[in-house]
Amino acid sequence: MIVSWNWLTDYLRLDMPVEQLTERLALAGLNHESTEDVGGDLAIDLEVTSNRPDCLGHLGVAREIGVLFNRPVKFPNPQPPTSGANADTLTSVQIEAPDLCPRFTARVIKGVKIGPSPFWLRKRLETLGVRPISNVVDVTNYVMFECGQPLHAYDLPKLADKRIVVRKAKAGEKLVAINNKTYEISADMLVIADGQRPVGLAGVMGGLDTEVSDQTTDVLIEAAQFDSMSIRRTSRALGLFSAASYRFERPLDPEATDWASRRCCELILQTAGGTLHPGVVDVGTQRPSRQPVTFRLSQISRILGIAIDRPEVLRILQALGLTHDGGAPEAPIFTPPSWRCDLEREIDLIEEVARVHGYEHIPEDRAVPLTTASRSPRERVETEVRNTLIGLGIDEAVTFSLVADEYAVPIDPAEQGEPVHVEHSSRKRERNLRRSLVPSLLAVRQHNEAHGSPNAEIFEIANVYLPRPNQPLPEQPTRLAIVTGRDFLGLKGVVEALLARFHAEKNFRVRPAQVPLFKPGRSAELLLGDQRLGFIGEVDPSVLKALDLREACSAAELAFDLLQNTADLVPRYQPLPSFPVVARDLSLVVPRSLAWGELAGAVGRAGGSTLESIVYLDTFQGGNLPEDRQSLHFGLRFRHPERTLTGDEVDESVRSIIDTCSTQFQATLRS
Amino acid sequence: MSLSDSAAEALAALDELEKAGVSAFAEAANSAAIEAARVEFLGMKQGRLKTAQERLKSLDAAAKRVYGQRFNAVKTALEAALEGAKSRGSQIASAVSDGFDVTLPGHLPKLGHRHPLTQTADELIDIFGRFGFAVARGPEVEDIHHNFDALNIPPAHPARDPLDNFYLSDGLMLRSQTSTVQIRVMENQPPPVRVIAIGRVYRPDTVDATHSFMFHQIEGLMVDKGVTMADLKTVLRLFAASYLGKDVKIRFRPSFFPFTEPSVEVDMLWHGGDRWVEMGGAGMVDPNVFRAVGYDPDEVTGFAFGLGIERLCMRRHGIDDIRLLYQNESRFLSQF
Repeated sequence: MIVSWNWLTDYLRLDMPVEQLTERLALAGLNHESTEDVGGDLAIDLEVTSNRPDCLGHLGVAREIGVLFNRPVKFPNPQPPTSGANADTLTSVQIEAPDLCPRFTARVIKGVKIGPSPFWLRKRLETLGVRPISNVVDVTNYVMFECGQPLHAYDLPKLADKRIVVRKAKAGEKLVAINNKTYEISADMLVIADGQRPVGLAGVMGGLDTEVSDQTTDVLIEAAQFDSMSIRRTSRALGLFSAASYRFERPLDPEATDWASRRCCELILQTAGGTLHPGVVDVGTQRPSRQPVTFRLSQISRILGIAIDRPEVLRILQALGLTHDGGAPEAPIFTPPSWRCDLEREIDLIEEVARVHGYEHIPEDRAVPLTTASRSPRERVETEVRNTLIGLGIDEAVTFSLVADEYAVPIDPAEQGEPVHVEHSSRKRERNLRRSLVPSLLAVRQHNEAHGSPNAEIFEIANVYLPRPNQPLPEQPTRLAIVTGRDFLGLKGVVEALLARFHAEKNFRVRPAQVPLFKPGRSAELLLGDQRLGFIGEVDPSVLKALDLREACSAAELAFDLLQNTADLVPRYQPLPSFPVVARDLSLVVPRSLAWGELAGAVGRAGGSTLESIVYLDTFQGGNLPEDRQSLHFGLRFRHPERTLTGDEVDESVRSIIDTCSTQFQATLRS
Repeated sequence: MSLSDSAAEALAALDELEKAGVSAFAEAANSAAIEAARVEFLGMKQGRLKTAQERLKSLDAAAKRVYGQRFNAVKTALEAALEGAKSRGSQIASAVSDGFDVTLPGHLPKLGHRHPLTQTADELIDIFGRFGFAVARGPEVEDIHHNFDALNIPPAHPARDPLDNFYLSDGLMLRSQTSTVQIRVMENQPPPVRVIAIGRVYRPDTVDATHSFMFHQIEGLMVDKGVTMADLKTVLRLFAASYLGKDVKIRFRPSFFPFTEPSVEVDMLWHGGDRWVEMGGAGMVDPNVFRAVGYDPDEVTGFAFGLGIERLCMRRHGIDDIRLLYQNESRFLSQF
């Protein structure tokens, strides 16, 4: 809302520097955007929050200044002279959609002479950045910027049957608006019609056919109230925004309608001549009067933390236009004015008193009681995951939750159906809520490749969104995903290091899995015991190609909750062993089809209670080994907790291991 | 008594000589360099000190005394510097010895980098944690009740406009603010409450250097008997002092949010700056919000505040384009 300094001086004395005025207004709720000198006047741009439509006119701003600087404000009381036949003999108004138009008033002026506005009027509109058009149109704009109530002037003889019908549009109706554009009006939109056709989009813009022109002599002045939701819908649907629709989208002062109409007529008579016909065609309902509010003064200190004394409270509220209607001394009763629809409750009055009294009076050195807040396991695990992964050379990424179709694939092959998606015109492509973080990280890798940073290694901790038809909300589990140029085992090592960091490696195993994103045979499910931790694999070449990635890479995605729940954040001390370890190495020749995991499992079971650990060393194929055989080389560590093991005892365990492997896997010792 | 110009100039030359000599000895990295410096400054025949000594003859008696004293001091200083260099020199070895070059770069282990947004978020969690605020979480896909109804945003409120929100089917939406978490926390626990909610929020803004359709918020909530706006101001001032430095001021400007009343914008001014910077919104929890979660507004009061993490992060690190935060270029991430 731009206000003119000179215009404000019509209503009250302004003798302070403009900086002092704007600073005080900003600290009381009208944020100062800018001040500009426009030909000797000052255009002050103030930001008006949506709860304060009363400040969308100079009168409202003047009232605020009056309260803040404690000085009287003088409001015009328009009583334009009338003569001739009553207005209701010249026109009629019919409201067919009372829910969208609670009130419509019309006044009639005949014999106006259209021409340019006088200098003072043009000057004031120009200060606001509004282009002057002609005296009658300028006056309707002027009064809107004076009191916040939009008005419209129709060329009365051009209205079919010289009447107004406020109704919803009929199918197929169109309107050429005063901006010369044609709008197709849909049936839920409110229009102002004459006896035949729409002549205006109610509250948004008037029609070209019936607008005031140079030949106009008789005008009908509209001042009405419309449903704010309906105005906003129409305005947005048509992409048509005006100073009028901006105001009608907010709850305007219901009492201002008639005042604005009289004020408009008064100024038209002054600037364009003519005769105002007596009476007003006033159709619709009056709004119910305002409900009184009891204000327990003790609530001020309960909410604000400071006391404000009763005389100051009374001064502020009365200056704002509330009437003091008795009540107990410590709980006076106030009735808010019609222009402050935002004041309905005690708490609303507390805010008024606080902002006018000034928030600078509220202290900032209170002793807030101490309380504990420990870091939750979630916070601790998140921090440690991040620290561990950056220590392993991987960067952290933050990517968008909304992705295009080709990035909306799940990692879990069992996750069927369509992703959850948003319905918004600005997100026609990236409309899906992702089901895996991996595609987003592949996109990051691609972006880096394209910008000269090959092999971006990245991880992200974020949610995925899984549709669950029978539950109120989609499942939104947190995942940890890693993408890297390392190969399968390189990335698996990262996962194992992470698990080791949380002492969660004990029941870790993998199981081959078919994951569409990954290369067959280089893809596995990650398990902790029987619970699924996630998936790992080398990204399939077809996926790389589809996402325009040049370099091979691997990816893993882990369920954060399982990691968190398995993490041992406070490990218990284990006594250091007092007896020595006995180490043996074995090379067993086994079928090539035998997985290390299977062999290691059998070795562990056969090794007895003194087998402390098994360490894979390497695999040998070829040489003098048959085609279908391989040699697996591994180390064994034996230890007894209470005594030193003898060589014979260890030999016995090793023999048992070899026998078992020989029976189960046709294993032979490599010579 | 004032010295003649030529005497003053001679004294200045002595100062200059001392400075040059001391630094030459300090920088001499091996015995050859130390010897070269010795010849230049302390050489018996043509050393610069010797030359300076000869200048004594051209001065008058008064100047001679002053100059002489200064000369002796410079001589002592240079000799001490030579001794220092010599004792150091005995420890200096050649950079390359036995074919090993100690100046070669180390084998640098590759280190990853924390994203600046999560660094900022962690710092905020840490600061508010010290004030007793625990972290609370809530779903990003929310229902209309938690995003609007319970936050005292009436059905006709412009904030619900489909153009300004990401609606899904079935009365769901992507949360437009982390205030939804307030509601979920209060629905599930009786007062007192002291939590911060942190996370992603979504609004269909056109993406440019300062706007993103997804961004991060941190929101604080404190509810108890006797919580006032003075407590709010105190907590935010302590936060500002902790995050930005002691030399920081805050102020409240009236604003409008449906879920707080009174509502304020919080501005901060620091390091003697001349411009207040808007940091976020705050206010006292609206009685209707308390009623929606089954708290009695005559029993408890509370405050809430919300800050944009991107804004804090960008301001802290001097990042001028929000899009950099989501592109995740290595060249960007490696700077943090």
